[in-house]
Amino acid sequence: MTEQTGQVRFNQRERETGGKGEAAAIETELLKDYRFGQQQLIEIWGQACALAITKAYPLSSLSKKQPTVLVICGPDQNGSIGLVCARHLRIFEYEPTIYHPKRSSQSLHQDFTVQCEKMDIPFLSYLPTEVQLINDAYNLVIDAMLGPEADISNIKEPYSGILGTLKQVKIPIASVDVPSGWDEEEATQDGIHPEVLISLTAPKKCAACFSGKHYLAGRFLPYDIQKKYELNLPDFPGTDTLIEL
Amino acid sequence: MDKMNHSSAEAEVETIEPLRYLSKGEAAAIETELLKDYRFGQQQLIEIWGQACALAITKAYPLSSLSKKQPTVLVICGPDQNGSIGLVCARHLRIFEYEPTIYHPKRSSQSLHQDFTVQCEKMDIPFLSYLPTEVQLINDAYNLVIDAMLGPEADISNIKEPYSGILGTLKQVKIPIASVDVPSGWDEEEATQDGIHPEVLISLTAPKKCAACFSGKHYLAGRFLPYDIQKKYELNLPDFPGTDTLIEL
Repeated sequence: MTEQTGQVRFNQRERETGGKGEAAAIETELLKDYRFGQQQLIEIWGQACALAITKAYPLSSLSKKQPTVLVICGPDQNGSIGLVCARHLRIFEYEPTIYHPKRSSQSLHQDFTVQCEKMDIPFLSYLPTEVQLINDAYNLVIDAMLGPEADISNIKEPYSGILGTLKQVKIPIASVDVPSGWDEEEATQDGIHPEVLISLTAPKKCAACFSGKHYLAGRFLPYDIQKKYELNLPDFPGTDTLIEL
Repeated sequence: MDKMNHSSAEAEVETIEPLRYLSKGEAAAIETELLKDYRFGQQQLIEIWGQACALAITKAYPLSSLSKKQPTVLVICGPDQNGSIGLVCARHLRIFEYEPTIYHPKRSSQSLHQDFTVQCEKMDIPFLSYLPTEVQLINDAYNLVIDAMLGPEADISNIKEPYSGILGTLKQVKIPIASVDVPSGWDEEEATQDGIHPEVLISLTAPKKCAACFSGKHYLAGRFLPYDIQKKYELNLPDFPGTDTLIEL
C-alpha cells in the first residue's frame, strides 16, 4: 500500500515494522543469518543514538551551566544501548549521569556498564522523587528503560515509579526506540511524553502516533532485510547514520 | 620516549603537547587494557575502527571525486584483526554507496573474524577468488585499493605468501592505496624505502611510530578511547571537531 505523503524525501509511505514480532524477527535474522553480534549491534545503535541527541540538543543549545544529561537505563538491551549512548555523549563533551537501578546478570550488559564507569561517568544510586531536583540538575532525560520487547502490561518496580516521576519532569525527554511504557502498537494517553524519539533501524508501530521530533538512527541494515520486510527506509544524507523523519 | 617539549616543566595551559606515536608494544598494551580492564569487546572495537576507516575513505575519496564510471574500491584483507577492520570498512562503504570488492585470501579460523566475512557476503559484496597479477587489470577496474592486510602486530621480517606477492603487485599499481593503521610491510618503527607507497594512511586510535615517516594524507580515526588511557600513555590526541570520529593530522 503506497500513498503520497507530500514529503519530498520519500515517495512511498514508510512502513513501520508491524508489531513486536517483526522487530524481533529482524533482530533474530541479523544475529543468526547475518552473523552480526549483539555487542556490535548495541554499539552501532548506541553511537547513532548519541549522534541523534547531539542533533536534537546541540551543546550550544543547552540552557544550564553544565551540559548535564540524565540517562535512565533499563536492565536489558534498551538499557545497554543507553549506556553506549551515554559513553559517546561523554566523548562528545556532554556530562551524562546514569541511573541504572537493575543491572543485568549477562556479562555482555555488564561490560557496557564497566566501559561507562571507566569513563568516569557518574552512576546515581537512587533517583530523586523530588522532581524539581531533576529539573534543576539536568538539561534533558534520555529514556533507555524499556524496549519494544518489554511487556508493558506488567511494568515492575522500579520502572513504574520512574515513569511516574518522568511524567512530571519539566525538562525534555528523549526516548530510545520506543517511549518506555507506551504500548508498542498504539500510543498511550497517560504515558510519558517525550519530546524526541530515536527509532532504531526502523520505527515501531507506536511511533506512528508520536508527534514530537522523530529520528531514525542506525545505518547498517543489509539491503536484503530491508527488501524482505519492505521497510522503505529513506535515503540518509551523505555519510550520516541518522535522519530526521 | 622522546618528546619534543618546548614548554617548561610547569603545566602551561596554552601549550599543545605533540601527538604521541606508539611503538608496537604500546599499541598492544593499550588494546589489552581496553579488552581486560575496560571490558571493551573485540567485536565492538573492530566495528568502531572499521566504521571510522570507512568515514576516512569517504573524506579522502568522496564519491564525486572518483574518476571511474563506477565507484569501485578494492579492499585487500589479511587474516587477523587488521583484515576484519577492512571487512567492516568495506561493509560501511557499501552502505555509503561505494562498490567495494574484497580480496580475502586467507580466512581466519576464529568465528569472530568469520562473522565479519558473512556480514559482508550478505551485503552482496563480491569476494575475489584470486588477485590478478596483471597490474593493469587492477588499475582499470578500481578507483583505489584499501590495504587492510597486516597490522602493527605483524612480523614483517617474515611476510608469508600470499601477502608478499600481493605487496609486490601493490608496489606497481597506479591507483591510490589507502592503508589501515600501518602500511602493510612497513617496519612498525621506521618507514621502509622499498615498501608500498600509500597515498592515505588511516591511523587507528593513535598513530604508530612508522607513521612519523609517512608523507601522504594522514587521518586519525576512531574516537572512543577513555581519558584515563589517553593520559596514561600521554597520547595527546587532538580535539576532534564537533561529533566527527576522525580528524586529518
